[in-house]
Amino acid sequence: MLQIMQNNQPTPQPHHSALQHVTGQSVFVNDMGFGGQLLFGRVVFSQQAHANIRSICTQQARAAEGVVAVLTAADIPGLNQMGPVVPDEPCLATDQVSFFGQAVALIAARTEAAARKAASLVNIEYEPLPAITDLGRAIAENSFLTGPRQIATGDVGKAFENAEHVLNGTLHTGAQEHWYLETQSCMCVPEEAGQMMVYSSTQHPAETQAIVAQVLAMPANAVTVEVKRMGGAFGGKETQANHIAAWTALLAHATQHPVKTHLFRDDDQMMTGKRHRFRSEYRAAYNANGCLLALDVALHSDGGAALDLSVAILERAMFHIDNAYYIPNLRVTGQVWKTNLPPNTAFRGFGGPQGIAVVETVIDRIARTLHKDAAEIRKLNFYKNGQSTHYGQQLNEVRLEKLFGRLTDFSHYPALRRETEVFNKENEFIKKGLALTPVKFGISFTTSFLNQAGALVHIYRDGSVQVNHGGTEMGQGLHTKMLEVACRSLGLPPERVIVTATNTSKVPNTSATAASSGSDLNGMAVKNAIDKLISRLAPIAQSLMKISTDDALVFADGKVAPKGHPDKGIAFDELVTQAYLHQVSLSATGYYRTPGLFFDNTAGKGTPFYYFAYGMAVSQVQLDTLTGDHRILKTYIVHDVGDSINTAIDLGQIEGGFVQGVGWCTTEEIKWDDKGFLTTHSPDTYKIPGVRNIPEVFEVEIARDMPNPGTIQNSKAVGEPPLMLALSVWLALKDAISAVGNHQQEPPFDLPATNDSMLKWVEEMRKLQ
Amino acid sequence: MRNSGGIVRFVLDNKIQEVDFEKLQLSPTTTVLTYLRQLDGHKGVKEGCSEGDCGACTVVVAGLNNRGTLEYKSIDSCLVFLPMIHGKQLITIENLAVATPSQMQLHPVQTAMINHHGSQCGYCTPGIVMSLFALYKNHTDPSRETVTDAFTGNLCRCTGYRSIIDAALDVCQHPAGDHFSAQEEHVLALLGEISSDETSLDLQSRGQRYLKPFTLEEALLLRSQHPDALIIGGSTDTALLQTKKNITLSKILDLSAVDALKFIVEDHRKVSFGAGTTLQELLEYANDRLPYLRDMAAVFGSLQIRNVATIGGNVGTASPIGDLLPVLLVLQAQVRLMKKDFQRDMPLRDFITGYRKTALAADELISMVWFEKPGKSELIKTYKISKRKDLDISSVSAALRLTFSKEGKISRACIAFGGVAAIPKRATQTEGFLVGKSWDRATAMEAAAMLPAEYTPISDARADAAARSIMVKNLMIKFWTETAGKEQIFNASDYAK
Ligand SMILES: Cc1cc2nc3c(=O)[nH]c(=O)nc-3n(C[C@H](O)[C@H](O)[C@H](O)COP(=O)(O)OP(=O)(O)OC[C@H]3O[C@@H](n4cnc5c(N)ncnc54)[C@H](O)[C@@H]3O)c2cc1C
Ligand code: FES
Repeated sequence: MLQIMQNNQPTPQPHHSALQHVTGQSVFVNDMGFGGQLLFGRVVFSQQAHANIRSICTQQARAAEGVVAVLTAADIPGLNQMGPVVPDEPCLATDQVSFFGQAVALIAARTEAAARKAASLVNIEYEPLPAITDLGRAIAENSFLTGPRQIATGDVGKAFENAEHVLNGTLHTGAQEHWYLETQSCMCVPEEAGQMMVYSSTQHPAETQAIVAQVLAMPANAVTVEVKRMGGAFGGKETQANHIAAWTALLAHATQHPVKTHLFRDDDQMMTGKRHRFRSEYRAAYNANGCLLALDVALHSDGGAALDLSVAILERAMFHIDNAYYIPNLRVTGQVWKTNLPPNTAFRGFGGPQGIAVVETVIDRIARTLHKDAAEIRKLNFYKNGQSTHYGQQLNEVRLEKLFGRLTDFSHYPALRRETEVFNKENEFIKKGLALTPVKFGISFTTSFLNQAGALVHIYRDGSVQVNHGGTEMGQGLHTKMLEVACRSLGLPPERVIVTATNTSKVPNTSATAASSGSDLNGMAVKNAIDKLISRLAPIAQSLMKISTDDALVFADGKVAPKGHPDKGIAFDELVTQAYLHQVSLSATGYYRTPGLFFDNTAGKGTPFYYFAYGMAVSQVQLDTLTGDHRILKTYIVHDVGDSINTAIDLGQIEGGFVQGVGWCTTEEIKWDDKGFLTTHSPDTYKIPGVRNIPEVFEVEIARDMPNPGTIQNSKAVGEPPLMLALSVWLALKDAISAVGNHQQEPPFDLPATNDSMLKWVEEMRKLQ
Repeated sequence: MRNSGGIVRFVLDNKIQEVDFEKLQLSPTTTVLTYLRQLDGHKGVKEGCSEGDCGACTVVVAGLNNRGTLEYKSIDSCLVFLPMIHGKQLITIENLAVATPSQMQLHPVQTAMINHHGSQCGYCTPGIVMSLFALYKNHTDPSRETVTDAFTGNLCRCTGYRSIIDAALDVCQHPAGDHFSAQEEHVLALLGEISSDETSLDLQSRGQRYLKPFTLEEALLLRSQHPDALIIGGSTDTALLQTKKNITLSKILDLSAVDALKFIVEDHRKVSFGAGTTLQELLEYANDRLPYLRDMAAVFGSLQIRNVATIGGNVGTASPIGDLLPVLLVLQAQVRLMKKDFQRDMPLRDFITGYRKTALAADELISMVWFEKPGKSELIKTYKISKRKDLDISSVSAALRLTFSKEGKISRACIAFGGVAAIPKRATQTEGFLVGKSWDRATAMEAAAMLPAEYTPISDARADAAARSIMVKNLMIKFWTETAGKEQIFNASDYAK
């Protein structure tokens, strides 16, 4: 094994796999082998958006060279079902397909090439049915997955009657492809007594285990899921990694061979769900100062062909329709519509970005009509301590004003505004734009019972420690943080502790690593396990040191010592040996559930979030109004992460999340043709941000002195919130387009602001002149 | 060492590797990526897209340059056929660190990536590190522009890139010697051993045939003997047929090792580019000499693509979105077509006969492209509009050129657009309109207004037809603003200044 040279250990702690990453030693599912036994899986998927299946002919494929098995729905021993929340997703289509990319048949072959060849030999005869691939049409034809829901506060009707100013509009926000670098992957190994070992790239091992068990008609205890690491996930492997696991397990079960399936990039893009596109209709009332009096929004979400997590995602959009602003009269309704597209799914932000984009548009428009700087209007409307959200949760630790003060200083906001204006006066075709946007993001799963986690910590006789927990590593640095939590609690250096692969046989019944809650939940569970171990070790230590059981102990620097007497300590290893000899258990489970969460769905009231994370960004862009090209000249971010467990990891989450958000707002555009075929099915046409699409000046500050009591090491979640700060880039682009008309008209604007859309909007602005 | 004509040799892990395709029953168009991933010790290289758009498969190839030293180039291993690296050293992520019995001595670029926290999920990281390694070997204290150029071909979905850029700026500031410098003599000797023999390779396996000549004579001979073979220069266009469309390439004539096709010659009157000149060689040459070619080459693919893609290949595709074609059209370039004992020059305009169709005869190959240099007082500019500025295919590309009379009036106009018709096409009516006019705002606006009618754009995944028409119109205005107006911002070359 590799060993890093420790001589100049940089602080903070690097990612716990950094050495493996940079040397190419990190093992991903597709890097795993199994000698000559291994077969390669492939999925044959629907080439129609909506059709009856007349026949599936697998004869030719079966006869092809190297093919070991071809399976269809009839070959599923268990339930043909993999819907994560409601049973509306067949594992393999039977008599009907409802989206292009839906799995119909499976192939296992001796080589990847043979599997690929055989897939083209499966002949499916379709009888096409009318397909809905457009959200507008789904709404018009009343094709829905769920009925409407509502959350409201105050008296919206009355507020509009009395309002000085009212504005209304419709905002379209686009879909987004996760584009994890590692496509969906799974390897399944049949084991003795009919058990199944599943090596998966999943954010939710427990659910993957449950679905595999379900399709194989096995009890959960016969299926073990292990996740070493994912090559990115971003929500795309929260439910939809279950699919490939189920397919691979079916093949492994049928052939009794180990089988590995790794989706080809284009297939992954065509088969899997995306961030939900939304159509949002809004109406806002405000006064002459720009104070928001009422907001009335109808959110229409495109769920695709099955429900997946759409309800929770819509709910989060509804919870975030206020973003950072106190709106006394607010009504938000939402509905998930059904289209013949792959079921849309979790994506970093989980509905939050779609909701926040609406209210940020409203504020931006208020500022434009009042000819004021939008940052001022934002500040005016910020929540204050003691105010409650539209779902009735009181806010007590609002950090918006503090962040605003720091950010406007740090970015020299007023100077940037002046510079932007002067530049725009002097330039006809190149325009600059500027925007400041905040985020307030609720932390917790909004389905309250999901807020639980487990851990299993072993201390071995040599004093080395193994930490198992229910969270998965997808690059976000969770294992690094857990390592640090364990090291800090036990007072051990990182070399003495290993965080293992996530395994359902170590920690069962876990929730997905999602909702930014990985460190919050698992950190507390790890701490809980270690606290138990410490309470077992303490009496041994006290008796070894001949001190009273009332005397406090400090675990630090590999030693245990009476508080205030570090010189009198004994080595941790020695203590462990003694504990073992004294027949003390050196293994403990840990458990945590977030206290005090509830939400009453019918009333639309409750406390769904444990706390809120805050952040704020200023971005300045430059738009070439003749080509639609833009540059992000400057971005400044101040973000609240409580007391950071690892500033390098948090910085990486802020920057990476922000840039991913920039992609959603600008270059990432998903297009389906009217037959439901994804025309942007590879990176040739689907453009995520590259190295030159990041801000040219990119300064991120982690807000100081803002501990978050009641969480692990007083930290805050950081995975999702920064993504929404990319709306500063989006609205800065709008500001640049608005400058074409000298800020006299409201420019047409939607999301994403691609170069070709911006050219069209600029053209419309010019026509209005 | 004689190569029997059927064996590919290259250096990997500091040893000569021999691949006998027939014996191994290996397809001769096996990509470097596929080859590496089925070896035990080289699984660090990753497949992310199979089309050269993500760079997870980046490896470095070192070959002898004309100074007799090794030159390190990053390439996308998913698009390069194994025989293309014959005679070269293949360097993978596993080769960077040196393992001693007790420790792992990291390469400085690896240490920098760790210290700057440049990896999160780690899937893109091997590719990023290899791009960084090539940068480290080629540049001392590079500018931010050079650094980012090295990574335009590497997508990372996790980090947001800042940490990677910082790692690169830091480690390349004072690049020290590494074990590759120490091993250079040894590797050169090995490469010398492999390339002492210039007999063409003729690889036959699994029903495919792969011909790889080393001299122009052999290339022409093979071309006449195998008119049915598909020519490849860098294969960045052709390999996609296999990796994306699953088409078996039954016969290949690989010109990538024909040194006689790699040259750039400029005299007082004209410039000639050998067909085998890579886009990166073109970019480096054009840099301060031929700005209109530089601006196009600078946004062509990524460094990994430009390191292999050839000018001959770009012309050979005759694609409406071939980025060199509009500029070569306005330069009134000539294409030199060669066959055994005969050659002819043909204007590019006539060479392109239709959508991805050319006048190339079955026994000919493109040997060079040449054009007369525009006069000093001529105005010539090139533009590319794409959804993402780098590593993207043009929605619209353009080249505009104006020649002036002594009186200061436009005496000739050459305008060509790509991406808005089945072929890259001149705008003859607007060109006619411009002749005799003075180059002022009114003229530019009028010309801009009439331009879109000359084209027939379509809507596709990249842009819709209406937007493409606006782009066509706007680029005329942009040309005016940049040559006569005041605003001179947004050239590819002033990125990140
Ligand atoms: C990721 C990616 C990005 C790209 N970006 C761009 C871009 O920005 N702009 C752009 O224009 N293109 C781009 N391309 C397309 C491609 O790289 C270019 O067209 C390139 O110039 C092709 O050169 P090549 O040598 O690799 O071609 P090859 O694939 O080797 O050949 C292309 C065609 O030309 C023929 N040909 C090649 N050499 C000769 C010769 N000497 N004589 C006769 N025929 C010949 C071949 O038979 C074939 O039909 C991109 C491709 C990829 C994969
Ligand atoms: S670190 Fe995950 S894609 Fe780059």
